[in-house]
Amino acid sequence: MKLKLKMTLLVLMLVSISINAQESYTIKGTVISKLENSPLPGVSIIIQNSQIGTETDFDGKYSLKVKKGDVLQFSYLGYATQNITITNQKTLNVSMLEDSSELDEIVVVGYGSRKKSDVTGAVSSVKAEELNAFPVLDAAQALQGRAAGVVVQSNNGGEPGAPISIKIRGNTSLTASSAPLIVVDGFVGASMPQANDIQSMEILKDASATAIYGSRGSNGVVLVTTKKGRKGSLSVELNTVYATQNTSNKLDLLNASDFATFQQLRNPSYTQGSENTDWQDLLYGSGSTVNHQLSFSGGTDKINFYASGNYFNQDGIILNSDFERLTFLTNIDAQVTDKLKFGANLFGSRGTQNGVPTQSTGDSANGGGDDVIGLIFRFAPDLGVFNSDGTFTENSVGDPVDNPFAVATERVNKTVSDRYRANFYGSYDIIEGLNFKSTFGFSTLNENIGTYVPSTLTLSDQGNGGKATISNRQSTNILSENYLTYTTEIGKGKFTALTGYSYQKTKTERFSAGSIGLIKDNFSYHNLAGSSGTVVPTSSLVESEILSQFGRVNYDYDDKYLLTATVRRDGASNFAEDEKYAIFPSGAFGWKISNEDFLKENETISNLKLRASYGVTGNQAIPSYSSFGRLTDVQGLSNGSVVSGVAPDQAANANLRWESSLQTNIGVDLGILNNRISFSLDYYNIDTKDLLMPDFGQPQYLGYQTAAALVNIGEINNSGFEFQINSTNINKGDFRWTTDFNISTNQTEVVKLLDGIDVRLDASPSYFSRSDTHILREGETPGAFYGYKYIGVYQGGTLPEGTATFAGGVAGDPLFADVADESGNVNGVIDTDDQMIIGDPTPNFTYGITNNFTYKNWDLNVFIQGSQGGEIFNMTNVQLFTGDGNTTYENFNNAWSTSNTNTNIPRVGNNSPREFSSRFIEDGSYVRLKNIALGYNLPESVLEKLGVQNIRLALSAQNLLTITDYSGLDPEVNYSAGEAGNNSNNTSGFDYGNYPALRTVNFSVSLKF
Amino acid sequence: MKTFKYILLLLISISIVGCSDLEEEPVGLLSPETYFTDKASVQIAVNGVYTFVHDRFFLAREAGMALMLRSDMVGISDQGTRQERIDHDNFTDLADNGNTRVAWPAMWEIVSSANLAISGAQFVELSDAEINPLVAEAYFLRAFAYYHIVRQFGSVPYITEPVTDVDAASNISKTSVDDIYAGIIADLKFAKTWLPATQASRSLASKAAASAYLSSVYLTRGLWKDAFDEAKDIIDKKGTYNLDLEPNYQNLWNYATINNSKEPIFNLDYIGNVGIGNPNTDYIGPLSGIRGNSAYAHGTGWAVMAPEIEVYNRWNGRDYRKAVSLDTTMVDNGVVKDFTQFNSVDGRNQNTPFIAKYNRMIGDDFGGSGRASEQNYLLMRYAEVLLIAAEAAVEIGDDASAVKYINEVRARARNAAGVGDTNYPPSAEPADHSGSVTVNDVLEERRLELSFEMKRWYDIVRRDLGPTVFSSTGLEGAKAQFNPADDYLIAIPADEVLRNPNLGN
Repeated sequence: MKLKLKMTLLVLMLVSISINAQESYTIKGTVISKLENSPLPGVSIIIQNSQIGTETDFDGKYSLKVKKGDVLQFSYLGYATQNITITNQKTLNVSMLEDSSELDEIVVVGYGSRKKSDVTGAVSSVKAEELNAFPVLDAAQALQGRAAGVVVQSNNGGEPGAPISIKIRGNTSLTASSAPLIVVDGFVGASMPQANDIQSMEILKDASATAIYGSRGSNGVVLVTTKKGRKGSLSVELNTVYATQNTSNKLDLLNASDFATFQQLRNPSYTQGSENTDWQDLLYGSGSTVNHQLSFSGGTDKINFYASGNYFNQDGIILNSDFERLTFLTNIDAQVTDKLKFGANLFGSRGTQNGVPTQSTGDSANGGGDDVIGLIFRFAPDLGVFNSDGTFTENSVGDPVDNPFAVATERVNKTVSDRYRANFYGSYDIIEGLNFKSTFGFSTLNENIGTYVPSTLTLSDQGNGGKATISNRQSTNILSENYLTYTTEIGKGKFTALTGYSYQKTKTERFSAGSIGLIKDNFSYHNLAGSSGTVVPTSSLVESEILSQFGRVNYDYDDKYLLTATVRRDGASNFAEDEKYAIFPSGAFGWKISNEDFLKENETISNLKLRASYGVTGNQAIPSYSSFGRLTDVQGLSNGSVVSGVAPDQAANANLRWESSLQTNIGVDLGILNNRISFSLDYYNIDTKDLLMPDFGQPQYLGYQTAAALVNIGEINNSGFEFQINSTNINKGDFRWTTDFNISTNQTEVVKLLDGIDVRLDASPSYFSRSDTHILREGETPGAFYGYKYIGVYQGGTLPEGTATFAGGVAGDPLFADVADESGNVNGVIDTDDQMIIGDPTPNFTYGITNNFTYKNWDLNVFIQGSQGGEIFNMTNVQLFTGDGNTTYENFNNAWSTSNTNTNIPRVGNNSPREFSSRFIEDGSYVRLKNIALGYNLPESVLEKLGVQNIRLALSAQNLLTITDYSGLDPEVNYSAGEAGNNSNNTSGFDYGNYPALRTVNFSVSLKF
Repeated sequence: MKTFKYILLLLISISIVGCSDLEEEPVGLLSPETYFTDKASVQIAVNGVYTFVHDRFFLAREAGMALMLRSDMVGISDQGTRQERIDHDNFTDLADNGNTRVAWPAMWEIVSSANLAISGAQFVELSDAEINPLVAEAYFLRAFAYYHIVRQFGSVPYITEPVTDVDAASNISKTSVDDIYAGIIADLKFAKTWLPATQASRSLASKAAASAYLSSVYLTRGLWKDAFDEAKDIIDKKGTYNLDLEPNYQNLWNYATINNSKEPIFNLDYIGNVGIGNPNTDYIGPLSGIRGNSAYAHGTGWAVMAPEIEVYNRWNGRDYRKAVSLDTTMVDNGVVKDFTQFNSVDGRNQNTPFIAKYNRMIGDDFGGSGRASEQNYLLMRYAEVLLIAAEAAVEIGDDASAVKYINEVRARARNAAGVGDTNYPPSAEPADHSGSVTVNDVLEERRLELSFEMKRWYDIVRRDLGPTVFSSTGLEGAKAQFNPADDYLIAIPADEVLRNPNLGN
C-alpha cells in the first residue's frame, strides 16, 4: 500500500504540467487489443456513410470531429470490426477482439510508420516478447537468429560488457563501419536502450527502407521504439533475473609431467618445474548475473508517461572481469491541444566495466603477455603462481611473459561510461492531413578509462615501476530535424508525402595522461603525481557535421498497388572539398495480389504481396580530416633529451568520397489459412562502389606515419536470399503452438580493387609476427584465408612431387604444396610464392527456429540457431602446435615421431614458423540450442488474493547444447584484435584468445501491479 | 493564443539548424602547407628525424638484431625464440620475414622526415649561413639512413622530396646502387660543408660525423684513395674535431663516462626510462643478456642471441677488449657461475660467454631487463676512423700509415693496466704489427675492436668474406644455407613488392 501511495505521488509530480481541456466537438479515445491489453495503432475509424475518418496513432489514440448520432466504424485487419453510435461521449475507448491469427501490425519506418501490409521494402520486426525471451546485457544480443539477414555477434565471447556487433545482409563495406545505423525513438545514432524498455525493433534492410537515411543507410537501419505509457491506470512492473554462468568448454591441456616430457622433446635440457597448475581451473570460475528492472507507466487524456530504472550486474567467468550498469528511461507525451503535441525521451546510463585483458593485440614487445586467455595455454603448467620469494612466476618456455593469474588479478583496466540522451519533439497538425514535426535532441558520452600495470608484473611492467594511465573521451551529438507529412486521399488512391531536413553535429574531445614509477602500487591510477616519471599526455578535438534534406512519397491505389519513392541529399564534412554532397534516391513497388478480385475470395490464400525496390544508399563512416595532407607530431630522443618533432603523416586526397551501395530487392509475402501461416521471401543484390579502405598498397618507403591513408579502393557485391515462416501450428483451447523460422544466405564477392592488386591483411596476434592471414582479391570473398596448403607430415626421403617443406625441413616437419611462382618456377622450398587462398569464413546460410508453446498458464520457448558452411581459422591451434607453450593431449599424443608416422600432426619441435596454412582451417558449422525457457503465470485466483495484476516465474538456459565439428572452444568466433583489428569487416572466422562463450541458467520473476 | 506560443517554440527549434558549409576546421593538426614559418619550425622537423634514428624498430632492436645475427660473431642462444630471428642467423629468411617487415619502414621514416625538413627549410626565408648548418643535419641523417638501406637491400627507390602524389610515388622504379651512393656522397658533402666542427653532443651530426661517414662510404665503394684522404683528414684535424681514442676501452660502454668521451663521432644517446615508449626503448641489452642473471640491477636478459663459443676460444685472452666485450660469468641466486653452467641455469642459455657491451654499465634507470638504458650506442667512433685509414692505406700501398693506425688501436687494447684493470698487466698483447699489414689484418682488427657494434655484417658483405667465414672453419661452423649470390642482401619485404611490383625487378 505504501508503495502504491509513493508511486501515485510520483506520477502526480510527473503529470503536474497543467493542462486545459479544450471545448470542442471532438471525440477522443484509445483503441486497445483486448487479448494483449495493449494499444492498437493504425485502427481505421470512419464515420459511416461518409468520407470522414482517421486512424489511431502509434499509441492507439485517435480523435475525430463527430456529431451526436454518428456511427463510428472501428476496423483493423485481423480484428472484428465494431460499430458504435455516438451519444454524448467525449471519450470513447474501444477494445478490439482478435479475429484471425496474425495481426497486421504497424511497423515503424524512418520518419513515420506504415501498416505492415503496406510496406514495400524489406523490413523485419522483432517484438518485445522475442527481445525478452531470455535476459540479455545488450538488446542487440536478443536479435540473434530472430530476423532473416541479421547476424549478431559478441565482439569477445562472453566477456561482461563486450560490445555486440550487428550486421545486416553481410558487410557492404570493407573498412568503414558495417554496423547498422541505430535510431532510437527518432534519434539517429543513439545507443541501444535496455531490452526491457523496448517496445519493438524494426530492421530496415533494403534501399527502399533505408534510403531515407541516405549516407548512413547502406549498412541497414535498426529502428528502436521504446515503451510508452498508456492511458488508464498506473501500471508498475518489476522484473528480476538471477543467472549463473559457466564456460561451455575447456582445452585438454597437458599436465606438468607430460608438459615436461613434451618440452624435453624440443629441448633435452628442459627441467620440469616443481608445481602442477591447471591454469584453466585457476582462471575460470562460475559467473553470475543479476538484473532488476522497475518500471511504471500510465496516462491521462492529455499525458502519458513511461519511466523505468534498471540495474544490471555481471560477474564474468574469468577472475576479475565484471560489468555493472544503471539505466533510466523516461518517455513523456503531452497532447497540448487537439493539434499540438509535445514529448520528450530521456535516457541515461552508467556502465562500469572491469576488464581482464583478453583477445588483446598481443604487444610484440611484451610477447603477447597482456592476453590472459592466450597465456592460459602458453604458460608452463609445471610452474605455480608464485616463486618461493613471493614474486609472480614467469614463463619458462617461449616469449617471456607473466603468468595468467598474475595478469588477471594484478592489472587494472576499468572503464566507466556515462551516456545521456534527451530528445524533444513538437508536432502540429497544420490543416487536415498536414502535420509538422520538429525534433531536437542531444546525446553525450563521457567515457573514462583507467589502467594500471603494477610493478609486481615484472615482465608486463617492462621496468616502469608501475604504469598508470587515464584517458577520457567526451562526445556530444546534436540533432535537429524538421519535417512535414501530408496525407490525403484522391479517389481510390491514398497519398502520403514527407519532406524535411536534418542537421547533426558530433564533437569528440579526448585526453590522456599517465605516470610511471608510482610510489605505491596501491595508488593504481588515482595518484599520477606520486610517481617518478610521466607518460606523454595527449589530447584531441574532432568534429563532424551532416546536413541533409529528405523526402518520401507513398501512393497506394485501391489497396492493391503501392508505390514508394524516397530521396535524401546528404552533405558530410568528412569528405574532400568537392565531394561533400551526394543524393541517395530509391523507389519501390508493391502489389497486393490477394486484394485483386480473382483472389479476394480465395479461402486458402489470405495474403499475397509482391515487392520490388531499387535504390542507392551510402556510407560516410570515416574519420574526420581524412582528406587532408597532414604532418604529425612525434616525440622521441635527440641530443640526450626528449624532444618534439614533426614528421609526414599522410598526403592529401582530394578525391575522397562516399561509398555508395546500389541495392535491388525483390520479395514476396504469402499468408495462408487466414494468415495462420505466413511466408516471406526476399532476394537482394547490393553493389557497393567507391569502397573506402586504408591504402595498404601505399608503399612503406614513402615513410608516412599513417602507413595506409584512406582511399576509395574498389567494389564489392553482396547477394542473398532471406526466407521466413511464421506459423500458428495449433491454437486449440488452452494450447497454442507457434513456430517462427528464418534462414538467410549472403554471398559477398570482391568485384574490383585498386589497380586490381590483391590486398593482403594480417589478423594474427602481433607476437605471431605474421605478415598475411587473409586477402582481398577480385572474384573472391572478402577476407578469404590466405596461406600455405598443408599436405601432411614429411616422412623423409624424396619430397613427393609438387611439395616442399620450409627451408631445412626434416622428417616430421610439415609438408606443403609447392606451387609455381609468376615465372613458372617451382623452387623446391616453401616461401611466399606458395601462399594461396585456403579457406572461406563466410557461412552458406544462417538460420533460427523458435518454437513457442503455451498451455494454460505455462509457456515454453525453444530457440535454436545455427550457421552452416563457414570456415574457422583456429589460431589457438597455431600456438598450441608451435610448441613454445603448452599443448593439448590430442596434439601431443598424435604428433609425428619415428614410431608414429601415420599422423597428420607434425613432430614436436617442427620447423613451422607459426605459419598460416590449411591445417588450421576447420568447418565452423554449428547448431545451437540458444535458449530454452519455461515460464509460468500465476493463476488469477492467486493474483487476486495478492492484489497483483500478474506474476510470472521463468527458468531459462542459454547455450545448453551445441552441435559442431569445430575442435576449438566455441564456433562463434570473432577474433579481431590483431594488426588488422580496426579492419574487422573482413577478419571474420578467426579464433584466438576469445573470452569463453557462456552457458547460462536464469531464473526470473516478473511482477505487474 | 496559447497555441501560438507553442508554435513559436517549434519555430525556434527550427532556427537551431543553422547553415553549415561543412568545412572542416581541424584544431591541433599540422598542415604541410602552413607549418614551416621560421627556423624553429625547421629545428622541430630536424628533431623528428633524430627521434626516428633512436626508434626501437631501427638499430635498437629489429634492424640491429638482424645485422648482429647475420654476422659470424653472433648466433641464436634460445632455440625457441622467434623463427624470424633464427632465419636471419641461418640465412633462411624469406621475403616475409617478420623482423625485416618491421625494420624496413623504420628506416624510411628517417628518410621521409629528413626530406620534410630539407624541403621545409626552403619555405623559410633565411640566408644559407643561417639555415644551412641546421638543414645539413637532415642531409646527414638522410645519407645515414640510405647508407644502411642500400647496404641491406641494395637497389631501392631513391626519394629526396616529400611525397605529395602517392600514386606516382607508388609506381616508381628502383634507383641503381651507384646512383644511390652518388646521392649519399652528395648529401654527406653538403653536410660536411655546413655542419659545425663540433656539436653540443655526439648524438648530433657534426662536420666530423659527415666526414667519417664519407670515409666509410668511400671504403665500402672501394674508393681507397678517397677513403684514406677523408679518414686522414679527420685524424689530422682531431684537435679541431675534439676527437681522440678513449684511454679506457670499457668507458665506451659506461653510461657515466661516455658523454664526456672524445672518441664517439656519432652515437645514439638513450637516457633511461622516460615513458615515451618505442622511441626510448633499446632492446639490444635484453636480447643479448643472460637468462636468469642477477648480476645486474636491471635483471634477467632474454638470451635471444649470443656469440658462438669459438668467438671466445679464438680471442686472445690478453686482449682487454675481450674482457670488456664478453660476460663469462653470471650470478644465479647469489652464486657466481661460469659460462659452462649457463645452460644448466636456464635451458635458453647456451654455454658460451655472452655480449657484455649492452648490459654491464647501462645506468641506474634502465627499464625491465635493461630495455630503456642510459647507454649510448656507438655508431661511428674515432677507432673506426683509424681502421678505415689503415685499410685504405693497405689498398693504396701506404704500408707505413696502415701499420701506424692499426697499432694505435692495438696500443689501447693492451693498456688495461694503464687505466686501472690490474687483471690485464702491461703486456705486448695484442702485439703491434710491424713491417706490413694485410687487408685481412685490418678486417680482423675491426672484428674485435668493433665487436657487436653492428659493423661486422657490412664488412663481410663488402669484402665478400661469406664463403670463408661461414665455412666449417668459421666461428659459427658451416652455415649450410649461406649463399653469397643471394644472402648478402636482405629481401625487400614481399608485401612491399606487392605494393610496388617495380621493387621486384
